[in-house]
Amino acid sequence: MSTTPRDTTGDRLVSVNLTAFVEQASVGSDPFRIDGEGVPYVPIGDGGIVIGLRLGDGVFDHASDHAAPGACLIHDDAAVGYALVAQACIGNPVEVRTGAAAGGIGAVAGKRGEGGRVIAVFRQEVLHELRPGDQVAVRSRGQGTPSLAEDVTVCNVEPDLLEHLPITFGAVTLAVKVRTVVPSRLVGNGIGRPTPMWDLDLQIDRATASMWKAEQLRLGDLVAIDDIDARYNAGYRRGWRSIGIVVHGSSPQPGHGPGVTVILSGPAGCIDVEADAAHHVGLDEEALLEVARARS
Amino acid sequence: MDLKNNAHELLTQVLAGEVWPALADRHGFRVDPDGRPFLLPGMGGVTLGVHCGDPATGWAGDHVEPGLSVRHRDPAANFALQYLSCVGNTVVVSSGPAAGAEGVVIGQHAYVLVDMEESAMRQVTTGDQVTVFAVGQGMRLTDHPQIVVKNCSPVLLAALAGGTARDGRLEVHVAARVPADAIGAGSGMVSEFANTDLMGAYAGLGEDLSLGLEGLRIGDVVALADQDHRFGRGYREGWTTIGVMSTGSCQLFGHGPGPSTLMSGPSEAFRLVDDPASNLALLLGRTDGLRPDPVAAGGRDKS
Repeated sequence: MSTTPRDTTGDRLVSVNLTAFVEQASVGSDPFRIDGEGVPYVPIGDGGIVIGLRLGDGVFDHASDHAAPGACLIHDDAAVGYALVAQACIGNPVEVRTGAAAGGIGAVAGKRGEGGRVIAVFRQEVLHELRPGDQVAVRSRGQGTPSLAEDVTVCNVEPDLLEHLPITFGAVTLAVKVRTVVPSRLVGNGIGRPTPMWDLDLQIDRATASMWKAEQLRLGDLVAIDDIDARYNAGYRRGWRSIGIVVHGSSPQPGHGPGVTVILSGPAGCIDVEADAAHHVGLDEEALLEVARARS
Repeated sequence: MDLKNNAHELLTQVLAGEVWPALADRHGFRVDPDGRPFLLPGMGGVTLGVHCGDPATGWAGDHVEPGLSVRHRDPAANFALQYLSCVGNTVVVSSGPAAGAEGVVIGQHAYVLVDMEESAMRQVTTGDQVTVFAVGQGMRLTDHPQIVVKNCSPVLLAALAGGTARDGRLEVHVAARVPADAIGAGSGMVSEFANTDLMGAYAGLGEDLSLGLEGLRIGDVVALADQDHRFGRGYREGWTTIGVMSTGSCQLFGHGPGPSTLMSGPSEAFRLVDDPASNLALLLGRTDGLRPDPVAAGGRDKS
């Protein structure tokens, strides 16, 4: 076993500068969404720039809906937006090109489905200067990373970030430290969708978190989902396991919840997990920004 | 089911729809559970030869939509059509050589899906106009206040097998019981739109994909375990959702044959009875495709 992946950073991986724009949160003509009990609520933090939410914060800590740390990046042209989401990987650098924050460097911290959004983390002082509509460049790299261990697929992650995640690599199996392991039936929105372009919402809320040892679930945590094969589309396959990074917070909507961007998927026998509900440390903001800065 | 309800309060709206073409993109292929590309028919158009009572799986198709797939060109009018159409509603073909032919709504799938006699269906093609006599949303069961009913016409409610049991629970006959592990795409969406794809029904593919659902038929009334569909679609232990199978075979991973939602409530409010005969074909009457029940057509005469 080593703590670094074998043969992952090969020069064959292609880096692409992709243009994106900082999103403004948007709602329909009706301000309300409906929660699982049929109670209307105004969604807060669902897209756009969210101040004060950081990797390491608890997913149930805020009165919000799908709130992600930092800024969401989109593109108005649907096809361009899909390419942006499909190719951006966690750990890729994001450089602000226009506006008061021009020159600021952030990092891709996750992705979201439906129309497609890239979640970018910035230092709070940069985030305060950002404005919806600002242009950024994402330097994508990561899709196509060779298998880390036999039969385990890696996706959606910048290879240089892997050594900063609690993953130990071996020739056949790898060992991953996670906050918790959850069953496939908790996967809601995102099931059946292509893994490079959607996150998987875990149907966990404050009331049910203790059933899944997820009371301490935090943004940036690694989570294992059993019986999910997420190599292509995400779906049920007995005996498989997928590992995701928590990229946005909880949601009152039925079928939604804290979302993970999948980074590893393979037979459960090839991915050993060690869960620590109280002390797990996942993706660290400093390490993430450092990796991105080194590649910017 | 002979249940006290508020059907007398319900209004019928006349909604226009259009038989929508099958759609593709220039790449053609999609990907199955094992990463193999496929190119198969299924969504959109008029899909012949698959009716209520027929197997949902085993077709060389993807998201097989039996019969007519109907939308409206205007997005807001389309949402009204999708949200307000209920299983069992009468549909009349309004243009083309099949004008006057009648069918029945069997579910939603981002299209309103319409079954009718095969001989009439063969005369319908994309672009033909149809009229849906939409009635059912707003239905309440007087003696079962914990159970939310949706997408269910008064005609279908009356035709469903079961009723109030001696212990006060609602007895529902179901052709199959679906475990929570099977819930695929559709989770997290509103339950008045599209349906809930069921995984674990990939006939002919690996055993590790199976959840024992390969025997489902189009039109089967099914029970979904641990699903609360009152205000969307979500996992919730101890809740039960009743649906009717409206779409068939999928090769796309995470997708599968799907039920449109009819009822949802706490599991203790239901008494489920396993009954293979609980299928729209038998409940609403079928001769080579669903015929509108004379009672169903009555929805047109209400005004």
